[in-house]
Amino acid sequence: MKQAGNKHINSFLNSFYKFKRDINRWSFATLFILLLIAVPVFTIGIELFDGPGESWSHITAYLLPSYLKNSLYLAILCSITTILFGVSSAWLVTRYEFPLRKIVEFLLIIPLAIPSYIVAYAYAGFFDYGGVYADFMLWFGVAKAKIDLMNVFGLAFVLSVSLFPYVYVSSRAFFLNQAVNLLEASRLLGVSERKSFLKLILPLARPAVVAGLVLVIMEVLNDYGAAQYFGVNTFTTGIFRSWFALEEPETAIYLSALLLILVFGLILFEKWHRRKIQYSSVKSANSKTNSRIVLPKFQQYLISIVVLIPVVLGFFIPVLQLLIWAYKTADSFMNQSLLWLSFQSFGIAFITAFFTVFFALVLLYFSKWNKIVAVQHAAKLGVLGYAIPGAVVAIGVMIPTLFIDKYLIEKGLITQFLINGTLIALVYAYVVRFLAVAYQPLESSSLKVSNSIPDSSKILGMGNFKTFLKIEFPLIRAGMLSAFILVFIDTLKELPLTLILKPYHINTLAVKAYQFASDEMVMHAAIPSLFIILTALIPVIFLNKLLLKNE
Amino acid sequence: MNKILEINKLTKSFDGGKNKAINEVDFYVNQGDICAVVGESGSGKTTLIRLIAGLENPDQGNIVISGKEVSSIKKVLVPEKRNVGMVFQEYALFPHLNVLENILYGLSKRKDKKQRAEQVLELVGLTTYKERYAHELSGGQQQRVALARALAPEPSLLILDEPFSNLDAMMRNQLRNEVFNIIKKTGVTAIFVTHDTQDALAVADEILILQNGKLVQKDEASRLYHKPQSIYVASLFGNTVQLNKGLKKAFQCPLKEDCCHAIRNENLAINVADCEYVTTAKIIKRTFMGTHSQLLLKLDNGENLSVVTNEAVFGDELKIGFNAKDILAFDE
Repeated sequence: MKQAGNKHINSFLNSFYKFKRDINRWSFATLFILLLIAVPVFTIGIELFDGPGESWSHITAYLLPSYLKNSLYLAILCSITTILFGVSSAWLVTRYEFPLRKIVEFLLIIPLAIPSYIVAYAYAGFFDYGGVYADFMLWFGVAKAKIDLMNVFGLAFVLSVSLFPYVYVSSRAFFLNQAVNLLEASRLLGVSERKSFLKLILPLARPAVVAGLVLVIMEVLNDYGAAQYFGVNTFTTGIFRSWFALEEPETAIYLSALLLILVFGLILFEKWHRRKIQYSSVKSANSKTNSRIVLPKFQQYLISIVVLIPVVLGFFIPVLQLLIWAYKTADSFMNQSLLWLSFQSFGIAFITAFFTVFFALVLLYFSKWNKIVAVQHAAKLGVLGYAIPGAVVAIGVMIPTLFIDKYLIEKGLITQFLINGTLIALVYAYVVRFLAVAYQPLESSSLKVSNSIPDSSKILGMGNFKTFLKIEFPLIRAGMLSAFILVFIDTLKELPLTLILKPYHINTLAVKAYQFASDEMVMHAAIPSLFIILTALIPVIFLNKLLLKNE
Repeated sequence: MNKILEINKLTKSFDGGKNKAINEVDFYVNQGDICAVVGESGSGKTTLIRLIAGLENPDQGNIVISGKEVSSIKKVLVPEKRNVGMVFQEYALFPHLNVLENILYGLSKRKDKKQRAEQVLELVGLTTYKERYAHELSGGQQQRVALARALAPEPSLLILDEPFSNLDAMMRNQLRNEVFNIIKKTGVTAIFVTHDTQDALAVADEILILQNGKLVQKDEASRLYHKPQSIYVASLFGNTVQLNKGLKKAFQCPLKEDCCHAIRNENLAINVADCEYVTTAKIIKRTFMGTHSQLLLKLDNGENLSVVTNEAVFGDELKIGFNAKDILAFDE
């Protein structure tokens, strides 16, 4: 009995010694950063205990069902459409040869350069009285032609054409990496091309498609600008309404919590889905030598047209509409104020990209240097910020920063708000939200550096930090650059979070476009929108080149 | 003799104690010795050297280098302070630095770094390759750079992880001699991990055999070969036939049935008259393999036996036998 007791005490002591030995400053630093990132979520969790606002019962009775219904409709409709566009175009581009294939392969990504609220403004104008569609129909003798897009179905259409590239990109990666070899094996076993695709490739591609789809749904739930413009009530517009119109933060928090549960449910579903299907990560060795099928010319043209449809819908039509508006409004807007506006936008995006990449690097390497396995696992949670809708992050940042500022003023340490309503709060919220955007390219480029390289640096006498500066930093520069660019674009496009947290005197291109659209001056939104698209486009092209080079 | 490395009751697990990659290993290495660590893949070889280098922390036990405790359950000295050199399996040259910069990397704290770098470059015969980058060197050259880089700071212990596994058989023999000539010249104590027993037999002063994380035998090469302590050790050094009940009966061997015995393939004589234990056998299958043939035999009491021979065997029947002095006996 006594011996058994001693054994327990010994093993407990051993674990304690090991823990004391292995825990280091990096463990604490990692946990601190994680805590910083988790503040918004914790805030919402804690604030729930204060109870909902006065209108909560009204909202649950009358509005919540419609929020749920609309968000559900949008999720389902967008899933179907983005799969249709994304998977088909990815497959045609990887498997078949056709005119313009190389260009189209790239063009299919560019709708990502346009924020979905701008696509929404453009389409609303396109199909409205006096729009391009009406002019076009006039040729056929149809007067006053109009398609009403301002409903849930119109919104689903707009979001789908602007978000399908997520599905396209993830399924194309799968097709490129392994599908062709599998398909050739299947053909050699005597199964036809079509049957192989349906019975073999599609089921195998499911995890990749779901991964892209989860991003689409997150963006759908995150969207504020498009839904608000189309007058469709969703969770996010509900949060805005309770915060600003009803001035009931408590209610906004309850809605945010519900939305968070939905989103985390979605992530768990994806994880569960992927856990069951591990094979999607298997890479085949010689994926480059895949030969594309050359069909007769007529069929090739047909394919060209089919894959161009999503590009035209997602990029060319909205840009055409914006260009027309820009031409009409150029005089009143092409001046210094636009330059100043762009400067502010780029400045904020630059600062945000810098800090986000910095924190992503810190999280990645601190967690590696820490020796406690549980902390290493926990560090992976830091990237969940991307799943949290912008409006929710904004509220989660607003409350604690307000609290801190008020406290500091009470103590007489400051005379006006230091964090809340300043760039600090805004950039902090961006970092929380975009950390994953920077983390992923950094992680994948650091994985390309074999572990033995930093290990040999350490054995040769350099500490963690020097090893990072001298060895890892030069080797992951490409990853850092793409991380920086990706965050830069995302910040430039971000709307809901910026609307809530931006300092009063600062404006961004996105906010300006939104203000024009809400003030019934949607035409004027064209120029700031085009500026966003143009800046987002340059890195997209650049990044594509970079990715191709890395392949 | 001066002990450079001492390891006591060293244990490490990667899954919270369920499977032990290294299980209560004890040994020491004397100054100037070359010690080989041999085992199948998954036997814990790499974990053992990573523990010695300080890249992993042990669950139990301790490691002493040059009289100083560097790893224990209470504290662990970081790798950069252990004065250990290591050559990695894939060489791990820094791709963005040239040969000279790679070698200078570990010398930043020394005053005579230039001279020392020249010295080791000469030692490995790469003085004219200073400006090259890793991708401009052959596999053998990369390995010599890795060796020079590890030797440059004059470590008290040099560790080599599977040093020849990336090379083809021809290069292997040549490079093995070159590398160990260099190591011998410097007089550094070295531990190297290998799954190829030929490497170990050729150059090691002492060989450690690991099996499932346990140290099963530690001895000099010839003793390991002639007095292996288990069938596992014996079979690492060449084809071995375990003498089971049926075989003992077939050869009319007066050995205890419950004892574990084996005979090396090369000690089985075919069609030789004066063996102590002999039986006749039918050839069921021959596989020609160039320098030798593999024969599947059916002995006259019905037992099957597979042997390798480089002699020409004619006809379908043969005599096979062995002598008592060649029998290996184990306790298990």
